[in-house]
Amino acid sequence: MGVDIAFAGEYHPTMNPGECPFSRRRFLQAAGGAAGALAASVLFPSLLPAAGGKTVDVGVASAASPAERARKAVALAGGMKSFVSRGDVVVLKPNIGWDRTPEQAATTDPEFVVAIAGMCLAAGAGSVRVFDRTCNDARRCYVNSGIKDAVERFARENHVGDALRIYHVEDRKFVRTSIPGALAIKEWDLYRDALEADKIVNVPIAKHHSLAGITLGLKNMMGIMGGNRGQIHYRLPECLVDLHRRVPVALTVIDAGRVLVRNGPSGGNLADVKSFGKAFASGDGIAADVVAAEMIFRLAPRDVGHIQKAMESGLGVSSVAQIRLVEG
Amino acid sequence: MKATRTLRRVSQWVVFLLFAFLFLNTEYKDNDVLPYAVNLFLRLDPLMAGAAALAGRALIGLVWPALVVALLTFALGRFFCGWFCPLGAVIDAADATVFRTVRRKDAVPVSWRRYKFLILFFLAASSLFTLQWVFLFDPISILIRTFTVSVFPALNFVIHRIFDGLYRAPGPIPGISEPVYGFLKSHFLAFEQPVFRTSAFVGLLFLGILALERYQRRFWCRNLCPLGGLLALMGRFGFFRRRITESGCTRCGLCESNCRMGAIGGDVAVTDHGECIECMDCQAVCPEEVIHFSGKEGRKPMAVDLTRRGVLASAALGAVTVPFFRVEAHGKSPNPLLIRPPGALPEGEFLARCTRCGECMRVCIANGLQPTWFEAGIEGLWSPILVPRIGYCEYNCTLCGQVCPTGAIRRLPLQEKRKTKLGLPYIDRNRCFPWIGQSDCIVCEEHCPTWSKAIVLKEERTLTPRGEWKLFKKPYIDEDLCVGCGICETKCPLTDRAAVLVTSRGETRSTGLFAR
Repeated sequence: MGVDIAFAGEYHPTMNPGECPFSRRRFLQAAGGAAGALAASVLFPSLLPAAGGKTVDVGVASAASPAERARKAVALAGGMKSFVSRGDVVVLKPNIGWDRTPEQAATTDPEFVVAIAGMCLAAGAGSVRVFDRTCNDARRCYVNSGIKDAVERFARENHVGDALRIYHVEDRKFVRTSIPGALAIKEWDLYRDALEADKIVNVPIAKHHSLAGITLGLKNMMGIMGGNRGQIHYRLPECLVDLHRRVPVALTVIDAGRVLVRNGPSGGNLADVKSFGKAFASGDGIAADVVAAEMIFRLAPRDVGHIQKAMESGLGVSSVAQIRLVEG
Repeated sequence: MKATRTLRRVSQWVVFLLFAFLFLNTEYKDNDVLPYAVNLFLRLDPLMAGAAALAGRALIGLVWPALVVALLTFALGRFFCGWFCPLGAVIDAADATVFRTVRRKDAVPVSWRRYKFLILFFLAASSLFTLQWVFLFDPISILIRTFTVSVFPALNFVIHRIFDGLYRAPGPIPGISEPVYGFLKSHFLAFEQPVFRTSAFVGLLFLGILALERYQRRFWCRNLCPLGGLLALMGRFGFFRRRITESGCTRCGLCESNCRMGAIGGDVAVTDHGECIECMDCQAVCPEEVIHFSGKEGRKPMAVDLTRRGVLASAALGAVTVPFFRVEAHGKSPNPLLIRPPGALPEGEFLARCTRCGECMRVCIANGLQPTWFEAGIEGLWSPILVPRIGYCEYNCTLCGQVCPTGAIRRLPLQEKRKTKLGLPYIDRNRCFPWIGQSDCIVCEEHCPTWSKAIVLKEERTLTPRGEWKLFKKPYIDEDLCVGCGICETKCPLTDRAAVLVTSRGETRSTGLFAR
């Protein structure tokens, strides 16, 4: 097997997002008034391309609470109604992968998840389905991440128990799915509910990852894959591109309230968690990842193999010049 | 006088349902601490409790309920077998269904009932000399083990097969079957299909016990069960016993022919109180209503069918065999794959106390605890070992220590459990992809649960099979941090043998350089 993982090795796993050597905050403040496209192109000078195609908005929200951040980011990205239509069956895919608490920042913040579920329903979604294929025991992950309880409580209190449900993945619902034009995985077992959904809303948490450097939206979608997912890691960038080619994501909302900056993706140690207080949202998952990678981890697309590969794939933005930052 | 028989039947049902309830709740249900004493049945078992205490040389506080059963038996006789024993209830149920119409021709010799005593004395003597074999014959251990390892997984499998089929069926069928499936799933079925080593063997043994009903009612309880034997000896002098008002008795013999235990012998007025399990059938069938259960008895009871020679021989055999097991070579060179659950006592004490009930395997959240075949020698049969390729030890889980009825697995607080080493892994550098220059992987490292990861990646130049030097992230083990949970071995993406393997080296319970 000719395996060549494009791993630039430029990541900074021990970096504290609050202590960037370049004062991004000041820079962004200066650029804030300028047109987003211009700001983006200045952000990544090394990648200044001949900008082509349409621009996409990436909402970057700062707020005190996870729910506020989620709402603000989605609003900045165009509002939930531009992604979810009335009657849609929505799959909401948070990261519930680990037997960790929200404070440990290995799983998406439950308030964040619930806020987005609420927005989907408010936008008229017929049903919202929440699940993840976990790494630790699924029951423990659902409970200790706080996500099961938060979603069920929200559904109960708002009397939307039929429309909003969180459930466990079942083996029998994985469907062997062929992926035309695949780079690495011509077929794989994918979760039926994700394949049949009208819209997928991807709600990852931003964190360090020992192979990919970081994990954001693109990688979070591994949660709909069945089978021996470990083997995905042999050619992670190609596999993730293949997955997104088959299962397009309507909206990506990245939780960057707490960020695990070391020992990811599972973490555990609170000393590895930094407060960042932001959220990112975009209808273009690649754009959301590009912006989050830069702003949180100061990584350019070429520094993260799978983001680079995704930009080459034509599945979304192919250059940073196409990205318009909308901050709030 | 059928009321007391009805009461006994109700008792059997209630107890069996309680047994089933506790069995089904021997499982993680969104709570780190199990809310019920799911191991209650084993703790009520005086045979298992006595053997574990005797062989383990320890007073085991956990098994205090067994003392209550023993005292009640002294007072009331062998009621346990007729009213309480869940295996007895299953056997009776088999009798009332499968063997309902069977005509038993060749009578099993009455003298066979002595075997249960001989087995008891054999087991007692070997336990006295630290070899605990009781699990082979103890009915509670057999039943929980069989349900855990065979019956429940098999039932779960069959029900899943049925509903998976209906799920894929065309038309309105899934709309009907799925709600039913959902109900079963949330109340009865396993979260994930459990699999166990020895399951076919254990299941067949259990069917064998039931099949003995073909030859005699309650064959197991009459002839083989050492718990029955122990309770027979304890309960012989109870004040609750069968007696007949002889003046009204017509000697019709209905009581004798209906006795499931053969406890009425020769003269219908004579009862073997060790054999009588007080099922009340005789009282219910007596047309003259002259059978009563109360304290006084006019006739001399039947003697226990034992010779001094038999007792001494079986006890001597139990004692004499022990040294054979103590000079088995695995004592000097244990199987490196003998990875015991977190909190397990040192091997000798562990085997002395372990009831082989399978509660720990039932509750193990990742299905990693498995029954041994012979990794711990013949004497260690069915004791729990972690087989990481099947499932790992969940870092934040302490359930196995919570359910162990005899403390063979100590109940560890979470903080202590997280520091308890089960063993240590090593990287097979001939198979690990980064090590052989095949590709990056990191799956073992990303799953490593310790809070400074015990698997450390080092980016190093490696020669690929095509002769190029490339950088790969190679895993190394930090043995100080590692707890041997085995998740690395479970999750290693290699499809057959993992490239990271856990052995028992460094386990906390043993002594040596790595002991903590």
